[in-house]
Amino acid sequence: MPKLTIDGKTIEMPKGATILQAAQALGVYIPRYCYHPSLPVSGTCRMCVVEVEKTAKLQIACATEIADGMAVRTDTPAVKKARRDVLEYLLINHPVDCPICDQAGECFLQDYYMDHGLHKSRIAPGDKIRRSKRRAAGKYLTLDNERCILCTRCVRFCDEVTRTGELTVSGRNDASFIDMKEGKGVDNDYSLNIADICPVGAFTSRDFRFKARVWFLKKTGSICTGCAAGCNIEVHHNEGIVHRLMPAPNPETNTWLCDRGRMTYKVLRAGDRLSKARIKKGSMEPEPALRQAAHLIDDAAHRAGPESVAVLGSPYLSLEDNLAIAELASGSIKTGALCLDFSCEQGVKDGILINKDQTPNANGLKLLRARYGGLDQNALIGLINSGRIKLIVAEARALNSLREKLRDLSNIPTVILALAKSDLDFDSDCVLPYASYFETEGHFVNYKGRIQKTAAAVAAPEGVQPLWLVLSKISSYTGAPIKIEDTKAMSAKLSEYALGKSVIPAICKPGSIAAKSTRE
Amino acid sequence: MAYKISERTLAEIDRLLKIYPQKEAVLIPALHEMQKEAGWIPEEAMDALGARLNIPYARVKGVVTFYTMFNRLPMGRFHLQVCRNISCHFAGAAGMLRHLEDKLNIKEGETTEDGLFTLSAVECLGSCGTAPVIAVNETYHENMTVEKTDRLLAELRAENNSD
Repeated sequence: MPKLTIDGKTIEMPKGATILQAAQALGVYIPRYCYHPSLPVSGTCRMCVVEVEKTAKLQIACATEIADGMAVRTDTPAVKKARRDVLEYLLINHPVDCPICDQAGECFLQDYYMDHGLHKSRIAPGDKIRRSKRRAAGKYLTLDNERCILCTRCVRFCDEVTRTGELTVSGRNDASFIDMKEGKGVDNDYSLNIADICPVGAFTSRDFRFKARVWFLKKTGSICTGCAAGCNIEVHHNEGIVHRLMPAPNPETNTWLCDRGRMTYKVLRAGDRLSKARIKKGSMEPEPALRQAAHLIDDAAHRAGPESVAVLGSPYLSLEDNLAIAELASGSIKTGALCLDFSCEQGVKDGILINKDQTPNANGLKLLRARYGGLDQNALIGLINSGRIKLIVAEARALNSLREKLRDLSNIPTVILALAKSDLDFDSDCVLPYASYFETEGHFVNYKGRIQKTAAAVAAPEGVQPLWLVLSKISSYTGAPIKIEDTKAMSAKLSEYALGKSVIPAICKPGSIAAKSTRE
Repeated sequence: MAYKISERTLAEIDRLLKIYPQKEAVLIPALHEMQKEAGWIPEEAMDALGARLNIPYARVKGVVTFYTMFNRLPMGRFHLQVCRNISCHFAGAAGMLRHLEDKLNIKEGETTEDGLFTLSAVECLGSCGTAPVIAVNETYHENMTVEKTDRLLAELRAENNSD
C-alpha cells in the first residue's frame, strides 16, 4: 500500500485512494464544496487544492490519487492564497443575503469565508449578476440560482443516486446555472436530500424554510418509523417543536432519508393530532377516559365472556407498546383472541431505501408472537366477521389495515388508540391518544432484524402518555393489572419476554447513532 | 402538439446507436440533424429526443444550452452572424453590427418581423485574414464594408423574392 505524508504526518492508504480521503483518515480537514463521499468526484470547485512536493502546480485533493512517497502540504502560503482566491471568485456574484437565507448557520460559504477568506469584496452590490430566486423545484425544494456556486452535487445526486436526472447545468461558463424542465421539478422520493447536500442556500427545503434558525436547533438521534427500513435520523427541534428530520448516516441502515420519512414528524403538529380522548364523539381528558375504556372491556368480558374481546397488536407500534397489548390480552383480559400477525412482504423497493413494508415493526411483532402466540390474521378476521367478538381493542392504523376484509364494524364497540383523527376511518365511541415516537422511547425491529430505539426528543401534549402506560392503567381499572407501571418495569419485562437479557444494550446504544451528517 | 422526430433523423439515430458504445454520443449528431430540418431546436424536440434515446430531458437540455450554435428560438431564413472577435473588431465589425441593427430595425439576437433575417454577434469564425466577416447561414462573406453589407441585404431580399 502506498505511504504518504500530509503536513508531516505519515499514513498508509489502499491504492486508488485520493489525497482528500487520506487527509480525512489523518484528521486533516481540507475544505471542499463539490466533493461528497457518497457522490462521484467532479473536481469543479477547486476549493480543496493542496501542494504536492515535486509538482509544479497546486493539485485538487479530491481527485488526485495518492502515490508512494508523496509529500502533501495543506498549510503553505500558496494553498492559503488559492483558497482565498477561490472563495473570492465564488462570492463575486453571490447575493450575500444571509439574513434571509435558511442555510445561514450551516452554510459552507459562511464557514469557509470565516476560516479562509475574510477578504473585502471588490464587486459593488449593484454590479452583481442577478439570477432567478425562489424557483419552486418540485414538491419539497426551492431553488435560488443567485446563491448557487455550481458545485453540481445536486445534478450528480439526481444522476447517480436516484437515477432520475431531473437537473442539469444549463448554459456555459459564466452564464451557466442549475436548471430543470420548464414546469417540472425534482420529483423523486429523495428530493430533500438535495437540500442537505447543497453546501450553500441554493436548494432549501420548502417545508423547513423560515421555520427556525439552525443554530437554535437541538438534535436528538432517533429512528425513522416511516417504513421497515429503520433509517437512523436526527430530530431537529427547539422549544418542544420538531422542525425537521435529517438522516444520520449509518452504514448498517442508511446514507440518505426519503421525503416520506422526513415528513413523518408532521403528525405531531397536525390539526387533527389527538391530545384529548374522545368518548362518544365528545372530548375528554385522557386520564378519566381510561375508566371508560376499562368499563367497556369489563362490560364485554362479563356479558359475553373474555373470549369475546379481540385485541390487536400493531406493526406501527414499538415493542414496548405491543408487549403491553399482548400482556393486556393474555394477562389481564385473558382472551385468546389476540392477533400479532401483521407480517407482509419486505425488501428494498426502489434499490435505495424505501421498503415494500410500509410499517416499521412487523418484525418486532414476530418476536412477540414467538412468546405470546395468538391467532393468525385470517382466523381473527373470521372470528370478527362471525359476530362472536363483542369488543375490539386496537391501534387505529392496524385496524384500518384489516378493514377491507372486515364486515361492517358499526355494531361492534371498539377501544381505539390513535395519534391523529385522520388515522380513524371508522366511528368509535372510545378513542384514546398516546405519545408518538418523537415523544417517547420505543424499540423497533427493522426488516434486517436490527433492533433500534427511538428517542424522546420533545414532550407529548399534556396528559398524553406512552401507549403501554395507557394500557397499564386501563388494566388497573379493570382490576387485573398487567403491573408495568414505569420504564424500569417495562424494560425488565421487555428483556425478559421479548428480547432476551443481553440483546438491547448490545445492539442499540441510544444516542450513539448520529455518527456524522450527510451534509459533509 | 407533440413533437415528432422525422423519419430521416430517426434512421440516422438508429445508425449512430450501432456505432457508438454510449448512447449519449448520439446526442450531438442527432441534434444537428434536427436543427438542419427546422432551423432550431424546440423544447418539445429535446423531450422527444431524450425519450427516444432514453436519456433524461435535463441531459439533452444541458447539451443544447452548452453549445451556442444550437438555436433555441425560431430563426429567420437568413442567419446573419457578425464576428465580434478581435481581428474583426479592429477591422470595423462593431460598426457593421450597429449598422445592421439600424438597417433591419432589430437588436442583436432578434429576428425581423417578416422572418427573413436573424442577427447574431458570434465568436471567432476562423477567418481573421479576411476580417471583418459575416456568415449568412453556412456561407462566409469576407472583407465586409458597410456598402457591401447593404448590397448583401439587397441580394438576400432578391433571392427570397425570386423563390
